[in-house]
Amino acid sequence: MSVSQAAARLAPPLRLDRRARALLASAGAVLLSLVVGGLLVVIAGGDPVAAYRALLDGALGTPYGIGQMLVLAIPLVIIGLGLALAFRGRVYNIGAEGQLFMGALAAGVVAIFLPVGFDPLLIGAATVAGVLAGAAWGGIVGVLRARWGVNEVITSLLLNFVAILIFTYCVRRPLRAPGSPDLQGRSIQPDAALPALPDLAVHIGVFLALLLVPLAAYVISRTPFGFRVRMLGFNAEAARTAGVRSGRMVVGLMVISGGLAGLAGGLQVLGVAERLDPGISQGYGFTAIVVALLGRLNALGVLLAGLFIALLQSGGQAMSVIEGVPYAIVLAIPAVFVVFLLIADRFARGS
Amino acid sequence: MDWSEIFGPDALVVLLSTSVAFAMPTALAAVGETVAERAGVLNLGLEGMLLAGALVSFLVAYYVGSVALGTVAGVAIGVVLGALMAFLSVSLRTEQIINGIAIVLVAQGITLFVFEKLFGGEEQPTIAGISDVEVPLLHDIPGVGPVVFEQNVLFYLSLALALGVSLLLTRTRFGLSVRAVGESPAAAEATAVSVARTRWLALLVCGGMAGLGGAVLVLGQLNVFEEDVSGGRGWVAIALVIFGRWNPLLVLGGAFLFGFTDALQIRVQAVSGGIASSVPTEIFGALPYVVTLAVMVAATVLAGRDAQPAALGVPFRKGVNA
Amino acid sequence: MNASRDGTRARGVSMTGVVKRFGPVTALGGVDFDLRPGEIHALLGENGAGKTTLMNILYGMFPPDDGTVAIGGREMRFASPQDAIAEGVGMVHQHFMLVPTLTVAENVVLGERGGPLLRKRHLAAVSKQLAEVAERYGLDVDPGARVWQLSVGEQQRVEVLRALYKGARILILDEPTATLTPRETERLFPKLRALAAEGAAVVFITHHLEDVISWADRITVLRHGERVGTLRPSESSASDLARMMVGRDVRLMQVVAGERSVSGTKEARPREPVLRVEGLRAKGDRGTPALSDVGFSVAAGEILAVAGVEGNGQPELEEVLYGLRAREAGRVSLDGRDVTYADPAERLRLGLGLVPSNRYRRGLIRELSVAENLVMDRLGAAPFGSELRVDRREVARQAKELIERFSIRVSGPDQLAGTLSGGNAQRLVLARTLSRELRCLVAAQPTRGLDVGAIEFVWEQLAAARDRGLAILLISTDLDEVMGMADRCCVIYRGRLVAQWPRDELDRERVGLAMGGAADRAAAAPVSSAVASRES
Repeated sequence: MSVSQAAARLAPPLRLDRRARALLASAGAVLLSLVVGGLLVVIAGGDPVAAYRALLDGALGTPYGIGQMLVLAIPLVIIGLGLALAFRGRVYNIGAEGQLFMGALAAGVVAIFLPVGFDPLLIGAATVAGVLAGAAWGGIVGVLRARWGVNEVITSLLLNFVAILIFTYCVRRPLRAPGSPDLQGRSIQPDAALPALPDLAVHIGVFLALLLVPLAAYVISRTPFGFRVRMLGFNAEAARTAGVRSGRMVVGLMVISGGLAGLAGGLQVLGVAERLDPGISQGYGFTAIVVALLGRLNALGVLLAGLFIALLQSGGQAMSVIEGVPYAIVLAIPAVFVVFLLIADRFARGS
Repeated sequence: MDWSEIFGPDALVVLLSTSVAFAMPTALAAVGETVAERAGVLNLGLEGMLLAGALVSFLVAYYVGSVALGTVAGVAIGVVLGALMAFLSVSLRTEQIINGIAIVLVAQGITLFVFEKLFGGEEQPTIAGISDVEVPLLHDIPGVGPVVFEQNVLFYLSLALALGVSLLLTRTRFGLSVRAVGESPAAAEATAVSVARTRWLALLVCGGMAGLGGAVLVLGQLNVFEEDVSGGRGWVAIALVIFGRWNPLLVLGGAFLFGFTDALQIRVQAVSGGIASSVPTEIFGALPYVVTLAVMVAATVLAGRDAQPAALGVPFRKGVNA
Repeated sequence: MNASRDGTRARGVSMTGVVKRFGPVTALGGVDFDLRPGEIHALLGENGAGKTTLMNILYGMFPPDDGTVAIGGREMRFASPQDAIAEGVGMVHQHFMLVPTLTVAENVVLGERGGPLLRKRHLAAVSKQLAEVAERYGLDVDPGARVWQLSVGEQQRVEVLRALYKGARILILDEPTATLTPRETERLFPKLRALAAEGAAVVFITHHLEDVISWADRITVLRHGERVGTLRPSESSASDLARMMVGRDVRLMQVVAGERSVSGTKEARPREPVLRVEGLRAKGDRGTPALSDVGFSVAAGEILAVAGVEGNGQPELEEVLYGLRAREAGRVSLDGRDVTYADPAERLRLGLGLVPSNRYRRGLIRELSVAENLVMDRLGAAPFGSELRVDRREVARQAKELIERFSIRVSGPDQLAGTLSGGNAQRLVLARTLSRELRCLVAAQPTRGLDVGAIEFVWEQLAAARDRGLAILLISTDLDEVMGMADRCCVIYRGRLVAQWPRDELDRERVGLAMGGAADRAAAAPVSSAVASRES
């Protein structure tokens, strides 16, 4: 069979049609994973309808609940955007958790020690430090892959452990809060804390996250850079032949996705914990992978997926308390969702 | 801190024998991964398979009270996840990297759910450990004897299996098919080797080995289960396959190196007295990962990627080979 | 019937009304084909005529959608090649189906049924038997060698040997001469003849008329998935066959006589050297030497052809010249500027273009639209906007213009490039590459696998580009193409340039000899580094 025949079979010429089918596939996957979630609730001895209601109430029932959901969504969306971009270029950064912690550490150090009396400057400097640290940590992975072809999945993942242990070391030893028990890191200067919105108790990082969504969408679809990322993802050989500098692109994508993870880490320190604390991330760097995949590597999709998972996780607390079912259900649902989406996508494309 | 408590003559034997024991879960998973990658499938779901194997074997051992049954159950859940990986990667031909990550996420989510459901809020459950067996004659060999031949039954079983699966690649027809399918699947298919079947089987073997690794970890060493009990061993195993240039015996060697650094850092923590001590135990904690990373990067930089199976990560579709 | 699986019995093949569809494409529309024991049968047709598909069905690679396959009068339903092999069918694919990292013996054992263990003793026994079969048919092959160490001709012998070892009495060869030198071809066919004389049935696929006329007992011509006819070489002339194959009178007629010349009308006027290469050395994918001491220069307004049989370092040369592969030694300069260490982006910027030999892997991105493929090397600058914005209207306008100028047949600029036929895909690659401000073009196997119309188009475009003053390096395995297009020609053999001729001394036979490694007998000027230019 010739290549063109095969290609004709693989890729139906109509794009609109494919989109419609992809949408249907997504809907199917959502439904199925919610059913699986319900099954898990039943297995755990709960009532699925009541559990889902408790979940929704918990997340959206009060302004405070909504605020907590948004606080959760901020790191997920910010990191998810970077990962979506990187994944599009087939640069599989799964080290966002480590990049987040490096960002948090750098932002924290600046916010603790920089003697600036002027809030915006202090906050700005701390944030930039976070971005740079995350970008550098991701950049290591990018350079290794671009220069020597070292698999970025493994390096980025293993560097997570290293980053977290460095962070833990700093918090326990040089940056421990004076006179505090074991794991308390130092507090940041009050000036460095991000202001919060009244009522919702959401720090102003939420605006940054919201601003990044259209920016990422624009970069992906309207700039030469975004186009080159797609070229790289589809066919790196052809991209190089057409003059795309693949090495620089790989490093660039690791730096960008790492920088965004670092930004998320910085915001967690400045806006949520207000101190160096190993608890600033509940695995956001990993959950953001799910966010990027569920959002189909699409900026708007990442926003929606980020909100959806934040809703599950913030409502999950209430659900587990009220219905007495394990909180882990809300972690299992999105993961199962990803698997269903992979299967559904395949069938939507036709085989 | 007194370093002789770690490297002194008697302590050294203890350190080395814990090293080989600690190496085993990673070694099993890494050898399994070698088979999958030689067949052309990059299985990044290894960590999830190891974790699931750990949980299921623990549960069976806890409730049924049989280490043997627990081990079998651990292997079985690994095989099931291997089948899921094969279904996605071989049958549906979706992106292997994503499939692997998804499997890790699913395994983590479900494992946590089950563990929380059964033991949430209770005291950490434990099971009885199994005792070490001295192998007659062999354990009298000076040096090696006390290190390798005073271990528990699961260790011997693992060592035999790891070596056995290594031989699988070179000494069996299945192994020949695996090597062919990972190198040039179109040629293999044309000579009546089913690429899909071979890759499926390779992933089942890989899943089983990773599941066994999980079982050995909790039943043979820790005797407890925690939510992140696998601790990245699956990822380390994948790095070791790269370090070992896809040669199972070198991969095994890499696993022992990892086991050594792991044993060392635990020993340092124990001897130094933990958080309160002046020794930065966290830095030692990072040692196994740093060493793994370093040797993997070094191997890739120095040896290039010649040894990598040519079709690694590339889905195969019958009839399209241009 | 007592039809046993007796491999030694002479049996014929009869295929009737065979239909095969791939999605919307009908590859075979009801083809009859019969093959008799003792004959060498040629299956002739253009690329895409369905020859390989028909033979893949006979070999059990996939079942026909309709129609029957009978061997020795018994209808067969093959689920896999294994079934076909058991019935004595053997196939030598065009792209050899050998695993390069395994030994010859391991490749033979691969897929064989038997116990789970692979014993050394068994491998040794197989090696011994292979040596015996090889001896009998004069196919010298070392069973212990790893396949990647073998030359193309040797690999083909391994394929034939494997088929014979497995008891093939019906032997299919897909384009057996495509990768062979004329001399190797002349060694191959007598061996096939000897096989046929013992009662085997041999069928070979080709689109080379010379092979057919010289070696076939009968010829079946396919066109667009239909059988046009079956005849004997004595019953027809080359031009009849060509017309049957193509379905119209074409300038290809000249091909038969070996004199085709699309570009020949205009005498080349070479000017200053543009591309200059000295002492180039590079390794292949497996670390073996692929290029050694390659030197030449190409002047503006001339086509330098590098002829050679596949597997003599052409892909490596293409990649090194374009910066896709690291070189070990040597220098490359473009317009006097050293580009030895430049990456492809830099070379592209300096005016070096590439028409890659693997157009689907390097030339285009299947998942992107035709329009995107046409402009993907020039975004980020005027007139397509800037690094901050792609001007999509301008992209669409340019794409439309290029589609028209290079007559790319598409439903619209948004059609996915992966759905293009071979000829249209190559038009797209040419459109993108030649619409740049180029100084030099490396065209690697630019017509491989294309149909006649597309081949003519490519040649016209290359000739026109040459006449506009481009320096063109044409890397080709196709002797006809080299003869027709070259202003100067050199031959690459085992990674070295072994001979060179100016156009007026170009002789088909001598080039052929040099391609086969007999450069001394080809009586050409020896090529040393940097001498192969016409500056003097």
